[in-house]
Amino acid sequence: MELLVAQLLNGLVYGVLLFFMAAGLSLIFGLMNVVNLAHGSFFMLGAFIGFSIFHLTGSFWLALVLAPIPVVMIGIVMELWFLRPLYARGHMDQVLLTFGFTFVFYDLVQTVWGKVVLTLPTPASLQSTVHIGLGVFSAYRLFLIGFGFAVALLLWLLLERSRLGAMVRAGVDNAGMAAGLGANIPALFTGVFGFGVLLAALGGVVAGPVLGLYPGMDTDILIPAFIVIVIGGMGSLRGAFVGSLLIGIADTFGKAYLQNVALFLIYLAMIIVLLIRPQGLFGIKYADAPPSALARTIMPSTPRTRALALIALLALIALPFGLADYPRALIAEIFIFAIFAMSLDLILGFTGLMSLGHAAFFGLGAYSVAVLGAQFGLNAWLGLVAGVLIAAAGAGLIGFFCVRSGGIPFLMLTLAFSQLVFSVALKWRDVTGGSDGMPLAMQPSFFGFSLSHSLVMYFMTLVFFVAVYLGLRRLINAPLGHAFIGIRENEARMAAIGYPTRAYKLLAFTIAGAIAGLAGGLYVIYNGFISSDAVYWTASGDILIMTMLGGAGTLIGPPIGAAAFLLMKNVVSSYSEHWLSIIGVAFICCVLFFPGGIWGAVQKLQPAGAKP
Amino acid sequence: MLSLENVDSYYGGSHILHGISLAVREGEVVCLLGRNGAGKTTTILTVMGYLHPRRGTIRFKERDIGGLPPYAVARLGVGFVPQERGIFPSLSVRENLTVFARNARSGYWTLQRVFDLFPGLQARERNLGFQLSGGEQQMLSIARALMLDPVLLLLDEPSEGLAPMIVKEIVDVLKHLRGKGMAILLVEQNLRVALAVADRHHVMNKGEICFTGGSEELENSESVLRSYLSV
Repeated sequence: MELLVAQLLNGLVYGVLLFFMAAGLSLIFGLMNVVNLAHGSFFMLGAFIGFSIFHLTGSFWLALVLAPIPVVMIGIVMELWFLRPLYARGHMDQVLLTFGFTFVFYDLVQTVWGKVVLTLPTPASLQSTVHIGLGVFSAYRLFLIGFGFAVALLLWLLLERSRLGAMVRAGVDNAGMAAGLGANIPALFTGVFGFGVLLAALGGVVAGPVLGLYPGMDTDILIPAFIVIVIGGMGSLRGAFVGSLLIGIADTFGKAYLQNVALFLIYLAMIIVLLIRPQGLFGIKYADAPPSALARTIMPSTPRTRALALIALLALIALPFGLADYPRALIAEIFIFAIFAMSLDLILGFTGLMSLGHAAFFGLGAYSVAVLGAQFGLNAWLGLVAGVLIAAAGAGLIGFFCVRSGGIPFLMLTLAFSQLVFSVALKWRDVTGGSDGMPLAMQPSFFGFSLSHSLVMYFMTLVFFVAVYLGLRRLINAPLGHAFIGIRENEARMAAIGYPTRAYKLLAFTIAGAIAGLAGGLYVIYNGFISSDAVYWTASGDILIMTMLGGAGTLIGPPIGAAAFLLMKNVVSSYSEHWLSIIGVAFICCVLFFPGGIWGAVQKLQPAGAKP
Repeated sequence: MLSLENVDSYYGGSHILHGISLAVREGEVVCLLGRNGAGKTTTILTVMGYLHPRRGTIRFKERDIGGLPPYAVARLGVGFVPQERGIFPSLSVRENLTVFARNARSGYWTLQRVFDLFPGLQARERNLGFQLSGGEQQMLSIARALMLDPVLLLLDEPSEGLAPMIVKEIVDVLKHLRGKGMAILLVEQNLRVALAVADRHHVMNKGEICFTGGSEELENSESVLRSYLSV
């Protein structure tokens, strides 16, 4: 009994921390339609700045009051200077921008405070324990629950009982109409964004004595907060509150009593809510964001482009002979991720669906090769075939549920499904090795040549890269590819002229999943090792960045993006600690100034005469 | 009070308004008539600042308002009643009225006066916006615009989709407002409403004004009625 109450209390503590995150996320989404992926970063910044203020002043309470101030200032600058210029361009660009910022903030925290786990000590006045009828409880935890409930009550009063709150609710209902009645919507957006950041930063400080501080705590709190607002209902404060306590308690009890399936069950609950009641338990509206405006149409090949492509191919064949082992291996990895990025581009750039869960299929392909090899001694090439089929089947199944939606709901659904796959990879340790990963049982040969030779590895991946590139180019230029592009441009119109657009979207999703599975299988053969990190949502984010950085909606863009990303990661990181910031800033600049990515910028540089 | 001169307006790349010129003087009710797609709503949205004119000028109270955002136009004293009524569904009737009200100091339109004009709304004061009927929504939308204490009302098809009884109520309200000296720019497809309320009429077709005149003139120009108003 005492243990049960203690678990319940811990659940409430976690729930309160989630509420600090979810309330702001939910308000920001409800009003601005922006899924702020950097919200966890503000939580993390609040925690670390609070830590420093505590060590300067020795007062936890001073830290609690002062730490949110600089964080809110950062948030407001981000809204004013970076999000605001993108209002006209659609919400997807804003989501991408916030993702770029997570890299910069992560790097900032890692640079200033280091990589070790820090803890903020419990304030002296609350270090005692409290005896209540059922047992002994930490005073700080009780304070935290009370503080959270008080903030929730205050928020509710502010939102439901004040005129300012009514203005925010009016803006959530219909921002355009509110503007027509004299509401300064941009100012309201900035205010609500800043307020959401304030809540996140406050949550970060009070979480300090409970959670521990480390770079990466941002995503660790962001994902459960997402689950909360999906289940509770985006834009609803009540939903954020109830959802936070539900998830907080469920997570705590799950970890205690159902250790292996708890994570899986929580993602499953999120998916079920999304499918049955997409607006969440308390949500009243679920705004559908328009698809990304970043795509561009590819040009038909001309003799000139064919000649250029042939020269590029010959250069790629000649290249490894002038290189040492390490760069050869690096380029082989680029080829694999280029395949992965091109597969994402088929749904992102060509069909107009932004997925934040594409790594699931990469993982299915990779684990198929590794697991079938380890359990049944299956040859890796046969495993690769099986991996492609399994990834295609998985994409068909997951896609069946996802393609019914579009915009932000699609993003959230794909994220939830990929996290479901991740939870299996993480928890089914006997088979997958979990976060420790598993090795490839036996490296296959490539037409009799040993892949342990870097030159063989290079050409093996090159062959697959060129094959996928040509296959996708054929697909895009075929009537089927044109149907995909038509759906991206105007799905309603495609449906009106007789295309079963949902079936087409599912087909695109399945093909993309199969190719991602191929990339995953190749990666295991290349790397000889796979762990659950490869399926985590940040891996989906990385591939999204590669695709957009290079130029979504083209076939050449994603490989260029993959090359740029991996070169930065591997080459820049050997010169500078700050490769994450460099990638983040490059990506932010790309979203702001080069919506067509690197390849789009290159195309703009071409003389006008070269364009058809 | 409000004047448009040679206004050209675009939706993205498509050119909708071609050189629209019209004026609403103080205390005057002016009606914009025309079929669907003639550009009536676009004209209203351009005045409100939802669209910015590419050419031409829009003046309100001697000020160029062509580049102002909607909230600034509203704050200058323009009350906007959109076609879809724009009721905030999760706010109560009372909150819908008070949330952006600007009558705090010297305004004529207090909550009580608005309720006197629309007794039906007072009875539903505590209901939420999404619980109202179409007629009630229309009343609330007009009432809410009055709470801004405007000197000019922009009404986009207030009679659309409503029962004849309700339309008559709305016509009475508009006549009452005219009696109080409120300037109104009214978009209508219902000729009878237009003739009952407005002093002057502009008929629009394909983004241009093709007829301007008083009520009698309009009633007597069969060709205009037949070609542009499907009567």
